[in-house]
Formats: sequence, structure tokens, C-alpha cells
Amino acid sequence: MPTPVIETVELSKTYEGAVGGVPVLSGVDLTIEYGEVVALRGPSGSGKSTLLNILGCLDRPSRGRYVLGGSDVSGLTREEQAWVRLHYIGFVFQSFHLLSHATALENVSLPLHYAGVPRSKAEQTARELLSRVGLNHRGSHFPAQLSGGERQRVAIARALMSRPPVLLADEPTGALDTRTGTEIMRLLLELHRERGTSIILVTHDPSVAEYADRQIFLRDGKVVSTPEASLGARS
Amino acid sequence: MALGPETWRLALKLVVRQPGRSALTMLGLAIGVGAFIAMVSFGEGARRSVVAQFEVLGTNLIKVQTSTPGVNPKMRPPMHLSDSDVAMLVREGTTFAHVLPVARKNAGVAYGGEQRPSFINGVAPGYFAIHAWDVAAGGIFDQSDVNERAKVCVIGKTPARELFGDRDPLGQTVTLAGVLPCRVIGVLSEKGFSTNGNDIDDIVLLPYTTYNTHLTDRIAYAYVEIEPLNKDLLDAARAEITDILHRAHGLDTGDPNDFSVSSPLEVIRAADRTARILGTLLAAIAAVSLLVGGIGIMNIQLVSVAERTEEIGVRAAIGAAPSQILAQFLIEALILTIIGTIVGVTLGIVVASVVASNMGWPRVISPSGVLLSAGFGIAVGVLFGYLPARRAALLDPIHALRRQ
Repeated sequence: MPTPVIETVELSKTYEGAVGGVPVLSGVDLTIEYGEVVALRGPSGSGKSTLLNILGCLDRPSRGRYVLGGSDVSGLTREEQAWVRLHYIGFVFQSFHLLSHATALENVSLPLHYAGVPRSKAEQTARELLSRVGLNHRGSHFPAQLSGGERQRVAIARALMSRPPVLLADEPTGALDTRTGTEIMRLLLELHRERGTSIILVTHDPSVAEYADRQIFLRDGKVVSTPEASLGARS
Repeated sequence: MALGPETWRLALKLVVRQPGRSALTMLGLAIGVGAFIAMVSFGEGARRSVVAQFEVLGTNLIKVQTSTPGVNPKMRPPMHLSDSDVAMLVREGTTFAHVLPVARKNAGVAYGGEQRPSFINGVAPGYFAIHAWDVAAGGIFDQSDVNERAKVCVIGKTPARELFGDRDPLGQTVTLAGVLPCRVIGVLSEKGFSTNGNDIDDIVLLPYTTYNTHLTDRIAYAYVEIEPLNKDLLDAARAEITDILHRAHGLDTGDPNDFSVSSPLEVIRAADRTARILGTLLAAIAAVSLLVGGIGIMNIQLVSVAERTEEIGVRAAIGAAPSQILAQFLIEALILTIIGTIVGVTLGIVVASVVASNMGWPRVISPSGVLLSAGFGIAVGVLFGYLPARRAALLDPIHALRRQ
């Protein structure tokens, strides 16, 4: 059996508060194979965001192991975490998070800038990706001059710049109308097929979750087996 | 990697994006650097100007005067410097090139019914060279005039102008103190005013022997000027003067002097010291304004970091390392600092030049001073740019990206 791209063992996260620790994740075991599309679902407060932050190397687990691409990344320094994010992980956010004062092309080029790639080469790659997401004539536009769907396409292009094996999409259609949302989901799946990128999709929307090969439900910081167990009491 | 040309390009773009704020940020530093350069220049210019004015007096001269009575109650009534004192100094001194007695009084100078007061000085011919007096017209008296007690005089520009107007004073006879008719044999070239505002040119010089014979009842020199053989013998000459006059006045070894020995060099040194302290003080004040400029950069950069929290979070999520974010903000501060410093250097040089030319000081802008203040300015900018940059680098990307 091949190595999974993501494997967590007994992953726990506790936030230290005034009245002792508040457990947010307790003993999450997760395995995601290369090229899988997984939907991560659960009510608010279930620990989805915390899990996503840990998987995205923006946060560290309190206990347990997180193995990314065969290496344990649980205890990295901030500097090392940044390197892992740059090379292994692409982020797509609900609110796009583009730099407003940079053009679409500059936004997409950014990861390669931090990877130390010369500007001309970075912009060439960015142009190819922009063209792939259907924005070949929008490179010199600023985010404010683009529609929501176009902004999310720019964000997707930016997330894929350093050819990461994992794409973390946090409610990628949350700020879009249904039709545009569907377009974005189709684009993500196309890119997933072309590039073999694994996608972890955090969403509330069951119709969006349908695009995934597999769904993982979280409740009270634990992985549960069925959507009913996850949603039951709260919805 | 973190400091590549791309980082510089991006930082420069950011600086240009908000020209008003950038200008405001660097203004404080520019003023600080400018003030530093200007103040150092003022201090040095004023110092040189003061020293130059004192050097007119002759740096190598020792002045021997009778002490003011009453300063020391044990002292006997004031001794005047007499002809025998001068003779003893001439006879016994081994380190003196010249011993020049000066007798002086403020008295009337009259010509053709016109009379005005002036400083009348009985001096030796060596006086002219030592005080750098040149004649504008005619000549000076010599040793034979001294020996013959000749009734001749050399007058300064002021009495020449006031008494003679457009007429030629040479060969005319003026009456000194109402009793002594003297033939004018020379007119001095102009020197202007002294540091304490006296008209140096309001002067009449005649042989001291003539002065002693006709203008005073008792020979009592105002002071005796002594020039050592060379500059290195200044201290030896002073010791010798003290020793000779002690014996001439019949004082015991332990007795206090009833005369004082001083040299313009001391005055110049004192003035130089004062001016240096003043210059240091000015530089210190300017350094404070430079520091305030640095704090200005820090404040605006801190605001900038707070405003750009989301941007920093996005960059971090994309994979910017804390060190790269630090570098970005540090380079931004550095660019602002460099521009501010260049503006400040220009400002400082312009202000220093304008003030120097208005005050009649030499325009002193030393490259080392400019380099020092520029280096100081950049150091301040980087130092104060570091704190905001560090805050940006330590920002938690999760918090920075948290949805509103």
C-alpha cells in the first residue's frame, strides 16, 4: 500500500484557558491518500477549523502525530512550517484573501516569489495558470475589478503555483452564488484530475460535499461515522 | 532569498503607494539628519570664526601686566612695570625674541581745530609686525626714532577718517593730549572691530620713548609684550618672566606675583573649548531630534503593520516565512530611512550654507560629519524599523486570517 499524503494519529488540540484546558480536538485519526478528494463536515464548534489549521501547518497539535507526505510535521518551528506550507499546501479561502493592491498576476506569482524564483519565470508560470483557470486576459486587473467567481479563480491559481500535493479549501463556494459555486467546484475537480492534487474541502453545504470521494464528519473534536451522528443533536 | 531584488521592488512599490504617509514618515528623520548636519556645521563654523578673531591678536605673545590692586590683601601697593623692569627682562632673558613695552592712555587727538579722543599707544617698532598691522599709506617709525624720541606717529583708519576726511594725513601734524605735536608718517590699514565690539582702528601709535617723555609724569607701562624665540619656548619664557620680575620687584620665592602673565593662546584655547562644548551641545540636541525622527518611523510602521494584518496573514498562509515578512517590513523601513536621510543631508547642507553665509562664518561641511549623520540616520531607521517588522513576523496567521 502506498504512503498516504496525510496521516494523523491520536491528534489532539487543547487551548489553555483561565479555567484549565479546553479540548478542541481529541484523538483524531485520519488517513488521506494521494489524489483523494475529501469533504470535512461538522457543525460550528466541532473543531473543523482547528483541524484545518493543523493540517495546513498554521497550528500545531497539543498531542499526537501529523505525518505529511511521509514526514512528521507535528513539532516544526514557525520557519519550517512556512516552508512546508509553501511547498506542500495550497489554501483557498471563503473570502478569497487576495492582496488588494496587487494585480491578479502579482497575486498568483506570490508563492514563487517566496520560493526564490526569479520574477520573469514566476510570472510566466502564473500566466499559464491564470489562463488555465480561464482568466488569461485578467492578469493586470486588481481584485476589486474582478467578480467573486473570478477572484476565487485567481485564488485557486495562486494556491496551485508551487504544485502542492494538498489543497485545503475552506468553504470555497461560501461567498458565491450557486451557479458560480458550481463552476468553481467543477474547476477544482478538473484541476484535481489534471494534477493529482488531493483536496480537503471544508463545507457546510451537503451539495458541495457531494463532489468529494469521501466525507469525514467531526463532532465535539472527534471523527464520527455518519452525518446523523454529527448533525443529530444540533441541527 | 529573503532579500532578493523582488523584495526591494515590492517594498518600494508599497512606499510609493502611499506617498503622503511615506513623506510624513520620513519627515521626522529628514529633519533630524538635517538638523544634525546643520548643527555640527554651525558649531564648527562658530568655533573657527571665534578662533580666527582671537588669532588676530597673535598667538605667540605673552602679555605681562600689573595685577589689579586689592585682589590679594597681602599684596603691596600695585607695582607698575617700569623701564628698569623692561631693561632687566631684555638683559637677563634668554628665551625672548622681542620685549615690547606698551604705554597707553585714552586722550585727545587734535588737528586743525578738530579734536576727538583716541587710544594713544607708546610702542616699539616691533609692535607693528607682532600685531600684523600693515600701513595703508606712508611707513612706520624705527629704532632710531625711538632712540631720538622723535615726535612722529602712525594713525589708525578711524582718526585718519574723522580728522582728515578726504585730505592726506601724511606729513601733517596732530596734537596728542593737547601737549605733544606729532608728524603723521603712516596710516594703518583697516582691521575692523574686535570680538567685544571695540573699534580696533581707533588708535594712534608713537615711539614709547616719546610717549614717556611727553605724555606721562611717571614711566608705567600698561603691559609688556614678550615674544618667545619660538612657539615651543612659550612655557619656558613664562617661567623666566616670572623669575626675573620676582627679583626685579624684590619678592621672595613664596610671595604671590604682583603682576600677571597671560597669552592669547590661552584665551584662544579657552574660546576653542567653549565653542567645542557648544558644538557638542548642539549636536546632542540634534541627535535627540534624530531619535524622535526614528520614533516617528516606528510609530507609522506599527500602524502600518496593524492595518495590514490580513495581508500579513495571507502572505504567511501562502508560505512566507517569518524571516521573509521581517525582511519585507525592515526593507520598507530602510527605503523610507534612506530617502529620508538623503532629503535630510540636502536640507542640512542648504541650511548650514545659508546660515554660514548670513553669519559670516566659514562654511564648514565636513564629509565625515555628513557621513556620520547619514550613518546615524540609517542606523536609527533600521533600529526603529525592526520592532514593527518583528511584530509583523510574529503575527499568528490564524488570528490574522480570522474571518470578520
